[in-house]
Amino acid sequence: MTKLLLSVHVLAAVIAIGPVAVAASMFPAALRAATPDQTALRLLHRICRVYAGVGIVVPVFGLATGSSLGVLGDAWLLVSIALTAAAAGVLGLLVLPRQRDVLAGVRVEPSRLAAHAGVFNLLWAVVTVLMIVRPGSTTGA
Amino acid sequence: MPPRSLRIAATVELVSLAVLLVNLATAHWAPLSSLIGPVHGCAYLFVLVLAFRSSPSPRVRLIAWIPGIGGALATWSRVWTVRSRWRA
Repeated sequence: MTKLLLSVHVLAAVIAIGPVAVAASMFPAALRAATPDQTALRLLHRICRVYAGVGIVVPVFGLATGSSLGVLGDAWLLVSIALTAAAAGVLGLLVLPRQRDVLAGVRVEPSRLAAHAGVFNLLWAVVTVLMIVRPGSTTGA
Repeated sequence: MPPRSLRIAATVELVSLAVLLVNLATAHWAPLSSLIGPVHGCAYLFVLVLAFRSSPSPRVRLIAWIPGIGGALATWSRVWTVRSRWRA
């Protein structure tokens, strides 16, 4: 059962976090264009918003996998959980609201949007590496 | 009418809870619990997010917090019919 839970967790991470990472990075680039394409901006925002919702599956099945492996107390997992929470915070409190501001006609610096997307992507990269390396774990490479 | 996404999440929330309870009362097959458990957890969170996104009504938003049956209760709330009457 652990294998099934882990498969759902990884599949959800690939499908949900990938599009958000790409769309959030493309948004400031689309905004920098001389005449920003509103349709494109709206679509990129929609991708970020919808897949952020789908992303709920990732931590839920991650916790289930961790619990079935009995590793919930491990340091590498606790750090990953904290970083994931931070990434969710960046997405929900910075990336999505600023994108909404842009669509509402508020002037937002593209560099600020790019920085938020960069921090989000960096956090996920660190979590992914932690999930693979698992420092201090004895459950094999 | 509540949005289709909320109705689906509410159905999954309710059905997965029923599956968990029936399994608990009968075979208590551990793999089923460990698979449907997270599914139910996801459905609960989806219901919460979708309820907050689809309705400004404090009634719907509060009801959605109720574990297990909150989604179903939220979709049955008469808030939706009242709103559609306003729109008409």
